[in-house]
Amino acid sequence: MVNSTFNKSYLFKLLGTKLLDKKLEELIMKMGFDVEGHTKEEVQIDFPANRPDLIDIVGFARAARNFMHKGREIRYETQSTTPEFEIEVGTAVKDIRPFISGMVVKGIKFDEESLRHLLNFTEKFTSNFGRGRRKLAIGLHDLSSVEPPLVYDAIPDETFLALNMPKSMKFSQILSSSDKGKAYASTLQGSKLYPAVKDAKGAISLVPILNSERTKVTASTNSMFIEITGTNRYAVEKSADLFASIFIDMGAKVLPIKVRYGNSSTILPKMEETQIKIPLIKIESQIGVIIGFNNVISLANKMGYKAGLLGRDIKFWVPTYRLDVINDQDVVEDIAIGYGYDYIQPVPVFAEQVGELEESSKRNARLSETMLGLGFSEALNSFMSNEETNFAKMRLAKPASSYVKVRDAKMQQITMLRTWVIPSLLSNIGMSLHEKMPQRLFETDYAFTIDKKINEVQNLAGVITDPKANFNQIKSVVESVMRSIGAQYQIRESLHRSFIEGRSASIILNGNEIGVFGELHPEVLVNFGIEEPSVAFEISL
Amino acid sequence: MHRYEIEILKSLESGKELSLNELVEKSGVNRDGVLWALENLSQLGAVAVARKSSEEVHLTDEGKEYAKSHLPETELLQKAAKKNINVGTLSDARSRIGLQWAKAKQLIQIDSGIVKITQKGREALDRGIEEEYVLVKLGENPSLYPALLREKKQEIENLLRRKLIAVEKRNEIEGITITAKGKQMLSAETKHEAEIDALDRRMIASQGWRDKKFKRYDVSVHVEPEVPARMHPLRETINEVKAAYTNMGFHEASGPIVVPAFWNFDTLFTPQDHPAREAQDTFYLSNPAQLAIAEKGIVSKVKTQQEGAWHSDWLEKIAMQAVLRTQMTTVSIQELYNLPKYKDYRLPLKIFSIGRVFRNENVDYKHLTDFYQTDGIVIGENLTLANLFDTLIKIYSKSLGLKIRFKPAYFPFVEPGVEVQAYHKGRGEWMEMMGAGILRREITGIAKKNISVLAWGASVERLLLIKQPDIERLSDLYNNGIGWIRQR
Repeated sequence: MVNSTFNKSYLFKLLGTKLLDKKLEELIMKMGFDVEGHTKEEVQIDFPANRPDLIDIVGFARAARNFMHKGREIRYETQSTTPEFEIEVGTAVKDIRPFISGMVVKGIKFDEESLRHLLNFTEKFTSNFGRGRRKLAIGLHDLSSVEPPLVYDAIPDETFLALNMPKSMKFSQILSSSDKGKAYASTLQGSKLYPAVKDAKGAISLVPILNSERTKVTASTNSMFIEITGTNRYAVEKSADLFASIFIDMGAKVLPIKVRYGNSSTILPKMEETQIKIPLIKIESQIGVIIGFNNVISLANKMGYKAGLLGRDIKFWVPTYRLDVINDQDVVEDIAIGYGYDYIQPVPVFAEQVGELEESSKRNARLSETMLGLGFSEALNSFMSNEETNFAKMRLAKPASSYVKVRDAKMQQITMLRTWVIPSLLSNIGMSLHEKMPQRLFETDYAFTIDKKINEVQNLAGVITDPKANFNQIKSVVESVMRSIGAQYQIRESLHRSFIEGRSASIILNGNEIGVFGELHPEVLVNFGIEEPSVAFEISL
Repeated sequence: MHRYEIEILKSLESGKELSLNELVEKSGVNRDGVLWALENLSQLGAVAVARKSSEEVHLTDEGKEYAKSHLPETELLQKAAKKNINVGTLSDARSRIGLQWAKAKQLIQIDSGIVKITQKGREALDRGIEEEYVLVKLGENPSLYPALLREKKQEIENLLRRKLIAVEKRNEIEGITITAKGKQMLSAETKHEAEIDALDRRMIASQGWRDKKFKRYDVSVHVEPEVPARMHPLRETINEVKAAYTNMGFHEASGPIVVPAFWNFDTLFTPQDHPAREAQDTFYLSNPAQLAIAEKGIVSKVKTQQEGAWHSDWLEKIAMQAVLRTQMTTVSIQELYNLPKYKDYRLPLKIFSIGRVFRNENVDYKHLTDFYQTDGIVIGENLTLANLFDTLIKIYSKSLGLKIRFKPAYFPFVEPGVEVQAYHKGRGEWMEMMGAGILRREITGIAKKNISVLAWGASVERLLLIKQPDIERLSDLYNNGIGWIRQR
């Protein structure tokens, strides 16, 4: 989700109509977005991450006008095919940030409000869609101060008067001392050379950090040079279409530039409209309603597509500013939104299949019933643990690698997946000292170990804490559980550091140890803050 | 004399002073019975009871109300974080109290009539307010009072000043001894034990009760209720969900929790530079750091699909990174790509799974590192959005009793995408309940040509919170306080 805040009076100016708060909210909801909140002057809207064309107020207003059937006939194309000038791409930039696109914009009329919205959008676009300027970054320059020819290359450290800085600084200094420098330095991956756009007079942009003060855009700017740089050529060039569309909607003219990579060159922005052909039946059979040719075309217009009949198919022209449309399914979704989810009548799916639970689900339900019958309450614990709880508090040595380790957890106490369930239950009991005795708690859920492969096993564990707790008590519980499973098992004395020596045993099934039980060692009890004798068992199922 | 009184005097007969607990233990009479009997005995002068005073804390009605929800200043902060609040609109008493305390604690400041959250306020939003923590803790377990008084003196004093908690001085019994008169009474009593007290097996068989009288008991004596063993509330909800799905003809599936990123992201059309894949949100593993992907045929298809759609290189080594699954769709997609295991199946095929999913979060009252999700898919030919709506209405509305509605939404692997919202009566608002849609053809095409797949993933904890509005904090569900489980 991307959150945008729009000034209402500017929005209404772009919409060509004023709307009451309630009407505006209804419109936004119907278009498929959430109103996060609004004040007298502003409205805040959540947009999905795949629609960067909407997080700008001009783009949103365009979509809203279409949705209200008040769309304008606008051709999203450049004013001429002859490039205004050329940008030569150097070879040194290839390994850092290889691609650039851009355009020239003439006859733009800003005021404080529209400029502020444009700059906010640029910031949002590069942080979300541009993945924190790593994938994409954008520079806006006042064209009157730009002196072609232009070069985009990675260059050695040099001095530069950056936007809104008191004095000239070296690139390296900007990176280490300015806010923007510190925020985006990592995108350069420690390169000794700095990607920059230069004109005849020197650098106009330290990419993707700061523009030059010399080419600063203000409310009185009326022509601009836009440069978009990044690591993904498709995204870099397609973003130029998106920006060009916004400037055209603002009433400005967009003129192309030429980008030259060695021997090959491209004229940008391309402003190509993709065409998608879909049979009507395919649209109706994905949504599940009968719509008809004419209505589909009108719904397409409502969602910003040009559309026309082509035999039994409908041909859609995907607007050049839509970066999210991959195939016909995306178009069908827009038709469904235009139609309105509220108006789609539910239709049953007919299937012969009989529902069934997995065997492990059924077995766990039976075990839970047995445990509840034996007076144990059920706990559900997180599977996340740490070496301290899982091993040390249980008086066990930490094994080298037979358990699943987690990295970079936000919470320091999370380092691994539990290898058994008893420590979780002891933590629960340690927090419930004041509750009435005896305390009987069980859990049947996953534990994780590694021996060549990862074993994700469902375990059943139970603990009894009681002034009179003893070995025979837990043994009788284990016998009862094993009988309910109906397994042929043996019980053998065993040595386990979590239990008192001579008071713990293993459960053996077909020669394999599948479980353990006994009287917990007093040191273990102290480690978990438990003040009464306790007995426990755990069985791998 | 009552049986309890006799038992107590017998226990004290040696003349040794006993504590209340020792007396309960020795006499075999329950605690309430002992207290009742001591009251009588000390009035008769049969025992001497030494007392000491102690302090006990309890929440006032106002305190209880806040402990159930939030302190008014927290509520104000949460409101102010959502939208701008004009001070003038805060007219009800609770909001005014909230305003006053939030100002006093410097959580907010008023900027030309608008409530602005300060740095301190923002921290409080993230971490909660200490005072509230102390209040809730005392509500859950009053015996923490002495410990909290040491560690959180300031907060305790504030709570007292605000009259959210009250401290009562209590007289506690320190020791009990028998008096000379008590000894006399006991020896008089033991002489005529002609009446039957406890019935036993021998007496029933020998009919020895026929010529004797039964001793009368005081039926008004207070006894402690037995504590029942209980299933965890979340497990009850999980079982309800399982029943709802199987009743609708769904087949249950499950799958591994530790998976290569491939099954959690790549097969679900998530580009390799997608923000959801960052360690900020997803748990990556250091042991094992990578997992092999056995299905080489699927790997090459996914590579082609991703490079075509996202115009950038797709690397198998990124797909091999081991993660804890973040969504149950991970299970659904593996079922979808392994259809032959459903022998002689006929479309439409309905499959669901329910299990734990993981997010790298800081745990607080509304964030958890692991929680439950249900995922469902219906595999068929020409399935529609209208079919999806009907399926979800049957499961979540008809069967599980929610009021739901559908909204357009975006999720990378479905198109069209739907957000399903459910109405929370307690809060009077619509909450996001699940994401749904029709799987993209890029994904289903790898499994089988010409199928369409309805898919959705729903939070189980949300369902529980909506159905049981008295549970407010997600974290309560995983604390496993024994008292909490027993009382539910």
